[in-house]
Amino acid sequence: MYDLVIRNGRVVDGSGLPAYRADVAVKDGRIVRIGHVAEGARRVVDAAGKVVAPGFIDPHTHFDAQLLWDGCAKPALSHGVTTIVPGNCSLSLAPLRAEHRMKLVGMFNQIEEMPLKAFREGVVWDWETFAEYIARIRKGLAINVAPLVGHSVLRLWVMGDAAMERTATADEIAGMQAVLRECLDAGAAGLSTSYVDMDERLLPVPSRHADPSEVDALAAVLGEYGRMLQIVPEFYDADLTIARLDQLAELSIKHSIPTTFSPLFVNADNIDAVNRVMKRVDEQFDRGARVWPQVQTRPIDISFCFAVPSLLFIRFPGWYRIMRFGSHEEILASFRDADTRAKLIAEAAPLAALWPHLVLRHVKFDANRALVGKTLGEIAALRGVSPVDAMIDLSLEEDLDAHFLAASMGHNDDAEVGRLLAHPRVHVGASDGGAHILSFSTYGDTGYLLGHFVRDVKALTLEAAVKKVTSDTAAIWGIPERGLLQPGYVADIVVFDPATIDRAVEDYVGDVPGDGFRYVRASSGVDSVFVGGALAWSAAEGYQPAQGEILPGLAA
Amino acid sequence: MGELSRVRRSILPMPGDGWGEIARRELPDVAEADAVSRLQSWNLHVYMRATMRTGGPGNPILPSDVIFVEPPLASA
Repeated sequence: MYDLVIRNGRVVDGSGLPAYRADVAVKDGRIVRIGHVAEGARRVVDAAGKVVAPGFIDPHTHFDAQLLWDGCAKPALSHGVTTIVPGNCSLSLAPLRAEHRMKLVGMFNQIEEMPLKAFREGVVWDWETFAEYIARIRKGLAINVAPLVGHSVLRLWVMGDAAMERTATADEIAGMQAVLRECLDAGAAGLSTSYVDMDERLLPVPSRHADPSEVDALAAVLGEYGRMLQIVPEFYDADLTIARLDQLAELSIKHSIPTTFSPLFVNADNIDAVNRVMKRVDEQFDRGARVWPQVQTRPIDISFCFAVPSLLFIRFPGWYRIMRFGSHEEILASFRDADTRAKLIAEAAPLAALWPHLVLRHVKFDANRALVGKTLGEIAALRGVSPVDAMIDLSLEEDLDAHFLAASMGHNDDAEVGRLLAHPRVHVGASDGGAHILSFSTYGDTGYLLGHFVRDVKALTLEAAVKKVTSDTAAIWGIPERGLLQPGYVADIVVFDPATIDRAVEDYVGDVPGDGFRYVRASSGVDSVFVGGALAWSAAEGYQPAQGEILPGLAA
Repeated sequence: MGELSRVRRSILPMPGDGWGEIARRELPDVAEADAVSRLQSWNLHVYMRATMRTGGPGNPILPSDVIFVEPPLASA
């Protein structure tokens, strides 16, 4: 008697080899047989007409905080994602001394757009070390987690407030090495750092005060464990990105570590730049380096309201200053004051072509409900004002709770994005899952890959796409016994309908602690998801108790 | 081992580096004021890094910054 048999499915085993029809049998959390299975099982899934694949691995998320109140990382599991990597971009929730908790919350709020109230009301701060944080999230964990240590946090732990001001001394670097070893021993999957991010004061995050010798010393520790170094380069400029990937390549070769940088976007105006970056990636791989560019599948959509800061306005200091530092009343006053309003409109003139295309997607009061779904261009015509004035007027009328959608802002050329996703040296990822929750949905990128780029655009075969988000990712990150369907491997499995798998429409839901909201996308076409052989989610039964693991696992 | 093609030349700052120090080291044949001016124009990501509080250019160079020591290469 097996624990689980998935019958009659089309097995896409994660290797990239052609799909085949077989049953999959599971016992004690492991795949034990693939082929014709006559014996019975405690749970039998009829997968006729469906694909049976390894669970997907999402290598770039910020679920660090959400895992404290939601061990499923909803809705990631429902999309077939069975392993997530939090702690990217130099930010993790451990190691973290009590005196730096609000500093970190501020950085998460500024960089990853996580609401302060969610931290205040959803987090019980009962850990400091990385091992304590791991013990904390393991309670109720239903998804596998491969957590990174944030470089900015590591600096704060060792250097205190000086981490935000200066380079480290030799003793402090040695201290960071020691703490990093403790984190890796406690199960960390690697280290993340950032060369672009700014903190809540709009000053460089601590990792940007590190000199090359500090990063080299930390990479040496990663080399002792063969673990990952993730960075955020200056992705807006190809020369800077190339300089960073050269820096990564030297560290990769010197310390024999995998490295990855994210994001890499392709737009109509930077195709040549992306081609230059990818040429350099190829050259560095040919030298023996591992420098994996991460490319997200979805186009860039941005929603915003003026009650919270939006990265859409970060290029405009007048706007961003009041959104970031202004009180609710001060923002309203700025919009009401004719002079201030005129200055704001003038400053944001570069977005003049965008305003008419913004869609009003959510309002608080009934008076404007009929306008939801219309563009600002349409609303402006109805009201006899300009689109930007319509946006400001609606925000005043709705007490700043008018939400606008800037859809498909970039990374939306199917041919170019598809070409990148299919590139053998591109790492499919960069979802940012769990972050930017009031700007866009960071969930469903795998559904978009398999629905849009496989089924609709045909940029990749189904087998190639599944390989990208399963065995490729496991191999890149050194995660053993996951990412393939084969006997002996852990039974992280997703069953989905290849004809319907997708991401659903973006929805605005109130499931964040502190009465907060976020944009999410439900899954479409996913039938059931198993973690370690246990049902973790199914379309019929919803979320179920499963036991996620910390990966790649405790150091030997 | 593969060969690397030529890319725009850059450095990572050394301890204590400011614009003048980098100018003297990387552009020794150029008058310092002119060299500093060139470096700043090639590194607007550093020189014009806006600080939302002061609003002005000229931020100190961070130890993690990439500093270009030549202009962008001409397109092939």
